[in-house]
Parts: sequence; structure tokens; C-alpha cells
Amino acid sequence: MSRSNLLVRMLAMLAVVAVVLAACGGPTAPTSTGATTAPVASAAAGVTTAPAAVTEAPTTMTTATAVVAATAGTTTAEAATSGAAVSPQQTLLFSGDLSDQISLDPAVAYEFGGIQVVGQTYETLVSPDPGNPTLKPLLAKKWDTKDSGDMWTVTFNLDEKAKFASGRSVTADDVVYSWSRALDLNKSPAFLFSDISKLKKENIKAVDPQTVEVRLPKTASPTVFLSICSFTLAAVVDKQVVQANAGSDMGSTWLNDHSAGSGPYVLDRWERSTQVTLNANPTYWGTAPALKRVIMRNVTEVSNLQSAIETGDADIVQDLGAEQVKALANNPDAQVVKADSTLLVYIGMNAKSPPLDKPEVREAIRYAINYDEIVNNLLGGNGKLVQEIIPNGLFGHTGENPFKQDVAKAKDMLTKAGVAAGTQIELLIPAGPAPGGIDWSILAAKVQSDLQQIGLKINIKQIQQSELLNTYRAQKGQMVMINWGPDFPDPDGNVTPFTSYAAKSIAWRNAWDAPDIAKLGQDAALEQDNTKRAALYKQLTERVLHEGPYVILYQPTRAFGVRKNVQGFTYDPADTPSISFWRISKQ
Amino acid sequence: MARFLIRRLAGLVLVLAGVSVITFALTQVVPIDPALAALGQNAREDQIQAFRHAYGLDRPPVQQYISYIGRLLHGNFGLSIRTRRPVADDLRDYMPATIELSLAAMGVSLLLGISLGIVAAVQHNGWVDGLARIFALVGGSLPIFFLGLLVLALFYTKLRWLPGPGRLDPYLTPPPRVTGMYTIDSLLARNGPTLRSSLLHLVLPALTLGYFSTAVLLRMTRSAMLEVLQQDYVRTARAKGLRGSVVLLRHALKNSMIPVLTTIGVTFGSLLSGAVLTETIFAWPGLGRYATASAVSLDFPAVMGVTLVSAVVYPVVNLLVDIGYHVLDPRIGVG
Repeated sequence: MSRSNLLVRMLAMLAVVAVVLAACGGPTAPTSTGATTAPVASAAAGVTTAPAAVTEAPTTMTTATAVVAATAGTTTAEAATSGAAVSPQQTLLFSGDLSDQISLDPAVAYEFGGIQVVGQTYETLVSPDPGNPTLKPLLAKKWDTKDSGDMWTVTFNLDEKAKFASGRSVTADDVVYSWSRALDLNKSPAFLFSDISKLKKENIKAVDPQTVEVRLPKTASPTVFLSICSFTLAAVVDKQVVQANAGSDMGSTWLNDHSAGSGPYVLDRWERSTQVTLNANPTYWGTAPALKRVIMRNVTEVSNLQSAIETGDADIVQDLGAEQVKALANNPDAQVVKADSTLLVYIGMNAKSPPLDKPEVREAIRYAINYDEIVNNLLGGNGKLVQEIIPNGLFGHTGENPFKQDVAKAKDMLTKAGVAAGTQIELLIPAGPAPGGIDWSILAAKVQSDLQQIGLKINIKQIQQSELLNTYRAQKGQMVMINWGPDFPDPDGNVTPFTSYAAKSIAWRNAWDAPDIAKLGQDAALEQDNTKRAALYKQLTERVLHEGPYVILYQPTRAFGVRKNVQGFTYDPADTPSISFWRISKQ
Repeated sequence: MARFLIRRLAGLVLVLAGVSVITFALTQVVPIDPALAALGQNAREDQIQAFRHAYGLDRPPVQQYISYIGRLLHGNFGLSIRTRRPVADDLRDYMPATIELSLAAMGVSLLLGISLGIVAAVQHNGWVDGLARIFALVGGSLPIFFLGLLVLALFYTKLRWLPGPGRLDPYLTPPPRVTGMYTIDSLLARNGPTLRSSLLHLVLPALTLGYFSTAVLLRMTRSAMLEVLQQDYVRTARAKGLRGSVVLLRHALKNSMIPVLTTIGVTFGSLLSGAVLTETIFAWPGLGRYATASAVSLDFPAVMGVTLVSAVVYPVVNLLVDIGYHVLDPRIGVG
């Protein structure tokens, strides 16, 4: 009996020791609090090194300075111990919701979180030039499109300086392998090649080590194909490296933990649902990135993002809500940077469901909504007034916003259309928050009260997004409030889904079949002359604005928290990746 | 003892079979389409069909269930619809984090709950007792998410005494994986910085998660001790002139531990459910966060995997409690 009592007491003592260790840092490590908070805080406080503080363990943790001083000295030591000698000053800590990361293989990744990583470690032949309809050279120094009778021929000349992180040169053979591999794997993004570009393996050819030739059928748009070439799906992988690690899935599993690209960073480690660590590519052929390491942490709670940017546990945080933006307004160490997304938040109206089958009723609804209140009051600035189907930031955006709340006009239109007061319409909305940071339900309530003023009774039904999509895709929604983002940074990524009934996307879901408008969209996609193309999109935009079954409510903006010592941060939704970590530096 | 264990094991199989049927039935009732949840709204019809086919979602529910159980018997949990990885790999990655957190929380509540309970009983109606009772009352009534946000706001954002969300300082490389528990792996690798960082990162989530069970244990220990301290044998021991601490720890404590042990078993369950919230608040990459994300996207194989693993935990804890009774009081048989 006494022996077991002794055991209990010993265990209790051990537990006490463990908790004390946990609270005070333990004998092996004489510093006080989490090193997580240290690096940026120390920079902000102007403390560079504090070796003296490391020698003695502070038993009480009272002053912030002590904490800062103590940890500043150890972080480098820790990094060195773990075999990674990169100072916090040379490391970028990025936090955001990265829980959608499924794969880091360019042929598979199709989620924001995955693309964000792949865009740093791989390169494409061309890259988008934000705000400009033309493309910039990347791995290809020049390219041209020729009409070769029955097909389009697109020829790329590779930059001979380009090389992979392995040291090998990027050759035409690598390009052919990468694109064929993407088609063979046939994962989520592959349709951009196979369906949108109508690209076939036999039509991708290496003419010589520096020249790639691609042939596309006349039904595909070479302009759209080129913009797809700037997307991560078209990134070039090092054929030798991938083939050496092919396994049973063409190297896909292997590429989740290694990178084989020519980008400014290489993948160091992916700890699933925790963080991704990227190291600067030491043999990068372009301008070397300013920061030696990028750590992307998966943080889903917005309040945690706020704390992280306030404490300096993150240099950049992604997607702050309206409340956090307000809270950070007067922060001396951090600022809020807002950037456009290419998303649109809209209401789809089923064009076959009475009374929405009458274009005048749809137009009346568009005039009944108070857009300014939504953008300015509800979103608190986390959105922009956009009413057309091509978002701001994409080629072809006209900036036309013809609708402003006019209750009398809207009522008049309804009366003329023969719609009785009190007519009921069901509005389906998804659960959770809408892009821009407010709840779908709040947005729906606003629409409900606006439409009430013209005598329409809106019944809101809130369901899980996937359940909503099921109804919407089956053309069974009467009114549906949802968002849309283009699959590739070209107006056609929105125009075809929103106008082509045959594409079985948004126009189809709203039972809206307008063949002449769809034809306009198709002509615009195939048009090679940018001036003519822009004119076609303008014509199309004007028609969809008034004839279409949509109420575009707003284009959400994304709010980033950025520490003030961070320089070179930009976010461009049309670029891949949207954030170029290699352009960022820290003071 | 062997017969007892065999009987318990047979019971476990029945529990698992029941749990799997109920979980499966629930996933069939919920009006969410896993394919749409996984592929999003831009997916085309043929992609959705291909996805349904690949995951066997296009087959009748009973057939889906039977083939799932068939694979399960071969140790195959299937592929997660959301992460597109084998569920077994996901469980292996995320489970150690939850075990580590739950053990730490259990440690906190055993240590604080029992010791405060004893002190409160000894100082019956004194100020320590009063404080302990308030502490227990608050612990029993404070929602875990509120407590989590509160301690983060106080100890991390405001005072900066302790690190915030996550398991480890982002600058550190996790220790080589042996158990998957960073503290133990750091010890094995003799890596001081990662040990310290992982222990520090454990403090706030373990306190948050363990507070409720601490409160329950405290109350239970206190009342059990109060009862035992009034027993004749305790008075006799005191009358014999034994030292107070000996009476308390050697005579009274052990006899008051039986109800406490029952409580430990029950509260362990609350730890597992509390882990879901705690892990979300503390960005703790464990089973709870995995379960939430999987449930929202109706990732049937993943939900099933997590449920089955959790279903094993309860009977095992109960078994341990039963064995514990026997150890504490040999008069209680294990049969």
C-alpha cells in the first residue's frame, strides 16, 4: 500500500515539474515566453541582440521589454540548432486561411492556398501584366500566334538563361512533358487545357531545345490559351527530377513534399493544415528574392489573424473582417492594405420562373436595390460597386454602373409588367459569411427589405452551400444569392459562364438562353485584336446589364494586415500568384 | 482477468459496429452533396460524375456501407474526399496532436482538480474552500470557446507571457517524428528549443481544455474527501497520533478516489468533444479540427475514421477505470 502511495506522489511531483517547466520555460531553455512573438516585436522595439538576458532565467515575466530582449537573442540560436540558419529578419511570416490546400503539384493544385504556394516555386512561360491585356515574358522570352489554315499555331521561344532549382536548363522538352503530364493526370484544373483551350497532347511539340510549338483548333481562342499559360496549371516542372520520383502517380505525391520548378522559392516543408515553409532558391536565374524564407501559416480564425498582426507574430495576414480592419486603423505597427478580388457577389434570377421570366421584372428588381448602402454601410468598405459581369481588374471591364435605387421607377415597371403587390419569391442563400466579410443572411435581409418597398415579398431560405448548388445546378432556384470567381484571368472566364446557355454554367442555372449574346461572347473570346475585342465586350456588357437574369451586388475586396516594416507587398487577383513573395522585403 | 478482457473486447466490436451504422446513416440523411462540397460551383457535370464514381458515391447507400466495412476489415479507412489522401494517413498526422493536448489537459485537471479539492476539503468552509468553489463554479459554467478567446486575449495578445495559436514556434523545425507528439519527440531528439516551444504552446490550450474537467474533479474530490474525513477510521488514525499529512494522503485520499476515478473516466469524454473547439481557437492541427472540416464537407470516410477512433477511446477509458477500481480497492473485482 505504501509503495503505491509513493508512486502516486512521485507521479504528482512529476506532473508539477512538467507544469512548472511549461510555465517558466524549463531548465534546458532559460528564456521566458514563446519565441513566436519575439522577432518582429524585437525589431519594432529596436532591440537587436540581448545575449545577457539569455544567461539567466527570469522567474517572473512582468515587463514586455524583458520578454522581448530575452527572446530576441535566442531565436537565431534556435534556428541554428534546428539546422535552419535563417534570421527572422530574413523570414516572412504570412498567415491566412490555407485550409483548402490539397496539393502542391502544379498539375493538381486548383485551390487558392495551393496556387499561392505553387506560384512561388514554379514558373510559367508567360506571366500576366496586371491592368494590361498583354502578357509579360517569363520562361518564354517571346511568342507569336499564327493562323495556319485549319489551326492556330502558337510558338514560344524559351529564355536560354532559365534554369530549374536543380541547376538544369529549362528546355522545350520539359514544357512538353509538363503540359502532357497535366493532361494525363486530368485533375481539377486540367479542363483549362483540355476543354477551354482544346489542347491535345499530340499538338504540343518541342521543335528544338528552345522552341515549343502548340497547335489549337480554330474553335479555341489563342488569347484565352495564352492567359491560361500564365496560370499554375501551365507551370513547367523539371522532367528529370519528376520522372526520377514518379511513383505510381507521375510524381504527384512526391511533389506535395518537394518542388521541382524554376521559381524564386523552393518548397522546404509542408506540414498539412499547419504551415508551408519555402526557402529562397539559391540558384534562381532571375533577381534573387529579398527574403530567404517564407513561412505560410494556416490560421482560420479572424480574431487570431488580428492578434498575429498586432503582436508581430505575422508580417502579413490575409482576409481581415470589417471589425478587424476597424481595430487596426490606428495601429502604429501595422496597416491595412485593401485589394480587389476577381469575385462577384450576385443574385441569379431564374428566367423561366414567373414573375422573373419577364425582363421588366428583373430590371425593376435591379432598380429596387440600394447598392450604396450595401457597399458603404454593410461591407464597411470591404467591397466595390460593380454591376457588370466582368469584374474590375480584368480586360473588358467597362466601369458602367447604371443602377441606382429608384423605388418609384421600379414600382412603375412592376405595375406595367402586371405583377401584383405581395407577390412572393424565394431567395436561396448559403450559410456562413459572404466574400467581403458579412454574413449572407445580413445581405439577404437588406435585399428583402429593399424589395419589400416595391411590393415583392422575398422568402429567404438559408442552406449549406453544396445543397444550394445542387438546387441551383438543377435550375430549381427561383432567386439565388451567391458569388462567382473566374477560372482564369481573362474576361472569358466570366463571360462564357454568365452568357452561354450551352456551357451549362451560370446562364443555364438561371434558365437564361440568349443565343445572340452568347455568340457575342464567343466572338469576343476568339477576337485577336484587343481594340475590337474590348468593343465586343462593351457591347455584350451593356446587353447583359439590362437583359440578363443577374443583379450584381458588389465586387468584394480583400483586406490584408501588413506590418509597417514590410515593403513591396502587392496583391493582384489577376496575377498568378496573387502575392509575389519574392518582391517583398523587411526593414 | 483474461475472460474479463475478452468480454470487454467483444463489447468494443459491438460498439464500433453500432457507431459505424449510425454515423453512416447520419451522413446519408444530411442534405449535402460531398462531390459538390469538394469541387465547388465551377465544376462541370462530367467532373462531378467522375468524382462521384471515383469515390463510389454513385452506388446505393447499402452497397457503399458494405464495401466500406469490407475495406475497413482490411485496415483500409478509405480516401478522404476533402484532402484526397488516405484517411489513415490523415489520422496518423492529426491524432498525436490531439492526444498530446488531451493528456496535457488531463494532467492539468488531475493536478489542479485533485489538489485543490483536497485543500478545499481540509480547509472546509475556509477562504481557500470558498475560492476553490468559485473557481469550480466558473469552470463549470464558462463556455470553452469564450475561455479560449479570453486567455488568448489576456496571456498572448495583452500580456504576451505565452505564445498564441499553433503547436510550435513557426521558426522552428518540428522534431523528427517518432510519436508525433512534439514534446515527447523533442525529448527523444534532445532538442531543447523545440521542447520548450512545444511545452509553452501547450499551456493555454491545455488550461482551456482542462478547466471544465478541473472544476468537476475539484468538486468531486472535495465532496468525497469531506465524506471520508468524517469516517471513524480517520478519527481513529488521528487519535492514534498519526501526522495530519499521513492521515490525509495515506488513509483518506485513497478511499476517496473511487468516485473521483469515475469522474475522470466521464470527463475524458468531455475532453475529446472540447478538443474540437479548443483546436479551432488555438489553430491546433488535431483530430478535432480535422473532424470539423470533414463534417462540413461531408467527407464520409474521414468522418467515419474519426468517429471510429473516438469510439474506441471511450470503452478503453472505461476499461482502465474499471481496472483502476480494482487497484484502489481490491474488494472490487474486475469480473
